[in-house]
Amino acid sequence: MLQLCNLTRAYELGGERAGVFGVSLAVPKGSLAVLAGPSGSGKTTLLQLAGLLDVPDEGSILLDGQEVSNLPERERCDLRLRRLGFVFQAFNLVPVLSALENVMLPLQLQGVAEDEARRRAGAALDRVGLADRLHHRPGQLSGGQQQRAAIARALAPDPLLVLADEPTASLDHAHGGPLMDLMAELAAERGVTFLVASHDPAVIARANHVFRLADGRLIEEEHL
Amino acid sequence: MILPRLALRNLLRQRRRTALTLMVVVAGFLALSLAGGFMAQTFQGLSDAAIRGGLGHLQVMPPGAMEGDEAQSLEKALPDGEALAARLRRDPAVAEVLPRSQFMGLLSSGAKSVAFLGTAVDPVLEPKYMACLDSLKDGAKASGGAGSRWLSPDPSAREVILGVGLAHSLGASVGSLLTLMSTTRDGALNAVDVEVVGLQDLGLRELNDRLLTVSLATANQLLDAGPARSRLSIVLKRPRDTAAEQTRIQALLPETSVKPWFELASFYRQVKLLYYAIFGFMGLVLFLVVLLATANTLLMSVMERVREFGVLRAMGLQPGQLLVLLQWEGAFLGLMGSALGLAATLLLRAGLNALHIQMPAPPGTSHGYELDIHFVPAVYLIVAIGIQATLQLSALFPGLKAARLRIVEALRHV
Repeated sequence: MLQLCNLTRAYELGGERAGVFGVSLAVPKGSLAVLAGPSGSGKTTLLQLAGLLDVPDEGSILLDGQEVSNLPERERCDLRLRRLGFVFQAFNLVPVLSALENVMLPLQLQGVAEDEARRRAGAALDRVGLADRLHHRPGQLSGGQQQRAAIARALAPDPLLVLADEPTASLDHAHGGPLMDLMAELAAERGVTFLVASHDPAVIARANHVFRLADGRLIEEEHL
Repeated sequence: MILPRLALRNLLRQRRRTALTLMVVVAGFLALSLAGGFMAQTFQGLSDAAIRGGLGHLQVMPPGAMEGDEAQSLEKALPDGEALAARLRRDPAVAEVLPRSQFMGLLSSGAKSVAFLGTAVDPVLEPKYMACLDSLKDGAKASGGAGSRWLSPDPSAREVILGVGLAHSLGASVGSLLTLMSTTRDGALNAVDVEVVGLQDLGLRELNDRLLTVSLATANQLLDAGPARSRLSIVLKRPRDTAAEQTRIQALLPETSVKPWFELASFYRQVKLLYYAIFGFMGLVLFLVVLLATANTLLMSVMERVREFGVLRAMGLQPGQLLVLLQWEGAFLGLMGSALGLAATLLLRAGLNALHIQMPAPPGTSHGYELDIHFVPAVYLIVAIGIQATLQLSALFPGLKAARLRIVEALRHV
């Protein structure tokens, strides 16, 4: 479903060369894959490249068999909107919108009618256990609830691939584990592929595929 | 509709800052629209004064009458002005034609002589269409003006109405007997004894010091003018058609020069230009103040939402849509500012007009006037459009800044 071929993206960080170098990997459809490794290993850089948020210096990205690494910005935006979903460490819900409106946002940007967007967003929030928090603003939700809302937002447009950057890092163990269980369930249930950057053992333990990075290079793959 | 909703929510997020920005917009709207209402009052007053001061809506005069000193003599006159006036009175667009003659000479009290500018008018028609009785009323309040009245319709009456300054310089008052001296059309010196029946205050010192008014019959005896008239003042039935009627009547009378009042009222034109310059400069300053204040607010708002913009871009929002989002924020600020500004303007206008504030006499004029800020919807519309355009412009730079953010850097922003 997702293939990264010999991907390189280098940048200067504190006077040193950082990034990812010659990484190739493949993530099958419907799997929960984890990019694991210590801080500075290149997990987030690789996730951003896979999510078309950044452009590689070298290499190619194939999404569902289509080469997407060098598309013009307008088409990259469109792909992100229709085929990709994002979950961030700091949740990053829009603070002035309710949970329901946050989940409706990508649907409405796609041009889905408001009533239909409301129905689909409500169903997505119901699926992540927030049916009774539809009209709460992010500030009125706990960290775990915000991250569930972020997952609902990522899933509402029915994406092919959801990219999650350290989704449990801002949560305690009591909330991080169930969140990962939810992701695993959704991957199995909907056939959505999850690519998660994390160094959390609880996350890695729930993965089907683990890609270990160090100093920007892929050093180990585990397929469970 | 998600972008307008998001824009509105963003403005309400920082209520205090939005309120302060709105105050700047409201102040700009208020200042410009009140100034516009004041300008409208001034222009209306000046145009009324010019039209009803004797110009009428159109003036028919001989070609070249405005050139040289002959403008104040009968050397250049409409040879058969009375017949021309009778012809024009039959025109369906014309309400009335007022013939008038202008002349110069000396006015003597016996002990002292003063140069004057004279206007001869029809004593019956003039009070019906012109504001001569108003200036007579003001003149009656001046020293020696008690008992002022308008000229008698009797063609044998030899009467004069003097400007208050002219009367003062001769020591004349109502009832005084004076001698008018001038030259006939043939160049011979002639004189007529006249009785002062009134003093007039024309509002301008220069005119009050020189101007006098007599009947056409009195002027005919002094100037031996016959049917010749310096000018014909035309009062139109539809004043708004002045420009079109000028073109039409000029085509009917190619041997004459037909001028609209606004080309002849030089004081009106000068004041209009001056006001446009003053209020144009004021508008420019307010434009800059509003522009900088709102651009600052929107820019601060962008800087506080860098990560949020990164998330929106990651979700697939196009850079142009961020620009549109900021334009919506500017649009809402403009709409709210204009709505509040309009309400504030109407309230303040009503309050100021209710106070009956007496304004000082403008430079060169002899009396003040009551402040009456006009209600001019077109001014409010123009100000609102100007404010809206300013807000859209002020949102442009922050919008471009947001649109140019690199997603990965925006997501790292703390």
